[in-house]
Amino acid sequence: MDQYQGKYNTKSTSVKRLMREATELQEATEDYSAHPLDENLFEWHFTIRGPPDSDFAEGVYHGRILLPAEYPMKPPNIILLTPNGRFEVNKKICLSISGHHPETWQPSWSIRTALLALIAFMPTPGIGTIGSLDFTPEERKKLAAKSQSYVCPECGKITDELATGVSKPATEEEKSLIDCVAFKAEEVQEPNNSGETEGETTVPEDTSLPSLRQRASALHSPLETAGANVLDGASTSVNSGNFQAPAHTANISILDQHRSLIIMIVVMAIGLLVLRRLILI
Amino acid sequence: MGDEVREADGEKRVEAPTNQDNLIMEQQRQIEEEISEAIPLVGVKEDLLCALEKEYAADPIYTMKAKDLSSKYSSIRRMRPDGNCFFRAFAYAYFERLLTNKDEYKSFYDIVSKSKDDLIELGFPQFTLEDFYDTFMEVVERIGGGEMAQDELYELFNVTGQSNYIVVYLRLITSGKLQRDADFYLNFIDGNRTMTAFCHQEVEPMFKESDHIHIIALSAALNVGVRVRYMDRGDSAQVIAHDFPEGTTPAVHLLYRPGHYDILYEH
Repeated sequence: MDQYQGKYNTKSTSVKRLMREATELQEATEDYSAHPLDENLFEWHFTIRGPPDSDFAEGVYHGRILLPAEYPMKPPNIILLTPNGRFEVNKKICLSISGHHPETWQPSWSIRTALLALIAFMPTPGIGTIGSLDFTPEERKKLAAKSQSYVCPECGKITDELATGVSKPATEEEKSLIDCVAFKAEEVQEPNNSGETEGETTVPEDTSLPSLRQRASALHSPLETAGANVLDGASTSVNSGNFQAPAHTANISILDQHRSLIIMIVVMAIGLLVLRRLILI
Repeated sequence: MGDEVREADGEKRVEAPTNQDNLIMEQQRQIEEEISEAIPLVGVKEDLLCALEKEYAADPIYTMKAKDLSSKYSSIRRMRPDGNCFFRAFAYAYFERLLTNKDEYKSFYDIVSKSKDDLIELGFPQFTLEDFYDTFMEVVERIGGGEMAQDELYELFNVTGQSNYIVVYLRLITSGKLQRDADFYLNFIDGNRTMTAFCHQEVEPMFKESDHIHIIALSAALNVGVRVRYMDRGDSAQVIAHDFPEGTTPAVHLLYRPGHYDILYEH
């Protein structure tokens, strides 16, 4: 914990709490491990083993945990990095209690609770929840086998992150919590998004970019798909990624910038090609 | 021209099927943020009559009630309306009292120092419970140490992290009491929820508003009498008082206006 001394206000309840959790989680178990990044106590990397007796049983999944400044009053966000066929990768998902009481994270939960809940939640059906994927069992098993070879630039080979023979199963109380936890992606819709889509963002043109199409096809929410169809009549349902553009989080606005950059480069490249052609002829 | 634009806007809004619930939630979140920026967690002590008459200048019923209230109370301290106002008001008002009341401090200290083990016994996750307990007791001990002054308490309660930790711990104590005496308290909750489910949904999460049942359980658990003055649109010229638990001498006086609690100070 020494690396955080002096860098963070140790009187802050969030800092104290995260350092406490880091100490608690220092020793990896066979089911999960998690540690804060050296340079940032508010970003963690974690590794979980897929739940036994499921399509994910062979899988080892790696991801990031982003802790809000208000933690533990506000829930952590989880981002999976290993393709798994259940959650989209590189997309924030957060915990909530399922059913009629969403958004009820409790400060007495912890990163450990969140990870145990995530493991338990993996085999549940995605049924179109934002950020969920409904891959077939075969595809999931294939991804599970492949996941073993995933290497994180920060943490290295992820299979080394889990311990063997060290087990800290959920307590009875944790189990009852875990049972009612659900995960979903962060909402990215805004009231004024229709305007923005048609405005300065030139998103409809970019369906030809493979990287964007990939991200778009990962979205399965029927609602978002419908929305995109109306706004962008000519495109197919695959184009639902457009809806990601108008976002209120800093993350996504960076994404937006990247996107326009890519578009600019592509347009310039086309322009140059056309120019060259004209000159050559 | 302007009209045309507006019309076009309107049309598009109808076309784009946005999820209304999400929009409402998003808007609510924005409103909450605006509120939290505008109002401190715990406000300064204000003259009661002056504060309320200004607020209700155009409202005869409330003005009448403000007058009635001012015959019994001299000042008011406003709380941030963030759903935690009851717990925060309770903690602040009672801690303020404990600064000068040594006898009461001792019995309160005995009750809260035992509370952790009781909660662990009930199955609360020990690891995080200790985190909240430690911060809570740190504050309690500083109050008892006699070194804390009024304005220090005020500052401490306006540091978001610590202030919220105190709220969390009071929520846990409330939840513990409700679960321990579930047979009794189940009579007061709607629907077919178990007490544990009720606590998970209505008591333990932050920013969830408090109802009578929260007040009864917390005041009983800590043996601290609470008098709530209800100020609403009712006909009576008086501001009705309700004591929790019934028949006790109130140590904390709160003003309730629909959806919100503030602290009251007697003459």
